[in-house]
Amino acid sequence: MTTDLHSLMAPYALDALDAEERSRFETHLDQCVDCQVEIAGFMATAVRLGDAVSHTPPPALRERLLTEIGNTPQERPIVTALAERRGLRRSLPRLAVAAAFLVGAVGVGGFVVERQNAAEEHDQNVAISSVLSADDVASSAKTFETGGTVTMYSSASADSAVIIAKGLPSPGAGKVYQVWMIDHSGPTSQGTFTTNGQMIMKGVAGADRVAVTVEPEGGSAQPTSAPVATIAV
Amino acid sequence: MSASAAQLRLATAPESDAATDLNSLLVRVGRGDENAFAAIYDDLGASVFGLARRVIRDPSRAEEVAQEVFIQLWQSAARFDPARGNAKSWVLTLAHRRAVDAVRHDQAATNRENRYDWSSGPDFDEVEETVTITLEHEQVKRCLDGLTELQREAVNLAYYQGYTYAEVATALDANTATVKTRMRDGIVRLRDCMGVEAS
Repeated sequence: MTTDLHSLMAPYALDALDAEERSRFETHLDQCVDCQVEIAGFMATAVRLGDAVSHTPPPALRERLLTEIGNTPQERPIVTALAERRGLRRSLPRLAVAAAFLVGAVGVGGFVVERQNAAEEHDQNVAISSVLSADDVASSAKTFETGGTVTMYSSASADSAVIIAKGLPSPGAGKVYQVWMIDHSGPTSQGTFTTNGQMIMKGVAGADRVAVTVEPEGGSAQPTSAPVATIAV
Repeated sequence: MSASAAQLRLATAPESDAATDLNSLLVRVGRGDENAFAAIYDDLGASVFGLARRVIRDPSRAEEVAQEVFIQLWQSAARFDPARGNAKSWVLTLAHRRAVDAVRHDQAATNRENRYDWSSGPDFDEVEETVTITLEHEQVKRCLDGLTELQREAVNLAYYQGYTYAEVATALDANTATVKTRMRDGIVRLRDCMGVEAS
């Protein structure tokens, strides 16, 4: 994988990347301040292209939507979620908690990009970059029927793997997704996320596979449910 | 080095009152305000539906996608931060991505059904015509006209047809590096022509 990620900026702004490259580019974008400045202008340009083809929708759409939102729960404000994650970090210090939730991150400008403290985040981003740019990086993905993808990028030379979850269906009220690395001694928790997240796992050489389960908020010490996704390392 | 809010901000022309209004409406939607949702729909419904229709072509499928976009807006409005971007950009970016994902998904399904139907992609004269003729926005039309033919083809196929750059390369019989360069040159020229300022 030797693609110059920088060259993907215009294709990204035009939505001309496939899902895998889009995900990889967003991970890069989150760490590349120069790119963020330039991509902002590209995205705003694309929005102008999009706004030039407006067309009055059928009247029934408005009615359907107003009915449907009455039955559709909303995501909770971000402040609550941040507080939960802080609590989680205290209770499970070795977890690499999903650092920068992409949520279409900068791309879908306006979404809050959640961040841990800067130093921790920086270290993690450097580590993630080194995996994504490794010569021997390999990726495999699991796409959920209801939408959302969990992608793993692993590098034997870096002895690390990066897990990126995007747009998963909500795990349900009071639940989170928890990522496990499984080796001969059993599963080890790698962290939790709700619908989007990225995390890095070190020491994957002895690992057999990575599994994702649905667990109660705060995570579990051991998996308590069957995996919703399993990816071989 | 941590990105500041200013750097993350989407580049836009100076915020108009209308943009400010949409931003505060979207914030209210995040708190469950259904009237604010209706107001946003009345303002952006045609933009979202029109974009979906342009990319997807099939009006009833476009309507489904427009509906998904507004439902997603309702669900995740609490994550919108007006300090980091404007509501219209957020919604249209979301709409475009949804439309592109839908058209690719549908195309993949069709390809599975017609495994031996090797269609050679669209007729470019037709693409060109349908895109430019119906553009309502004079400035965008003028700026697209200012691109070289190759830049315009690359931008049109990607943005208005949902092609990946690799598919554009196949369709135009060019290598992918060339296509990426064309897209970049095209979007830079469009940006400058439209007066989009990088903030």
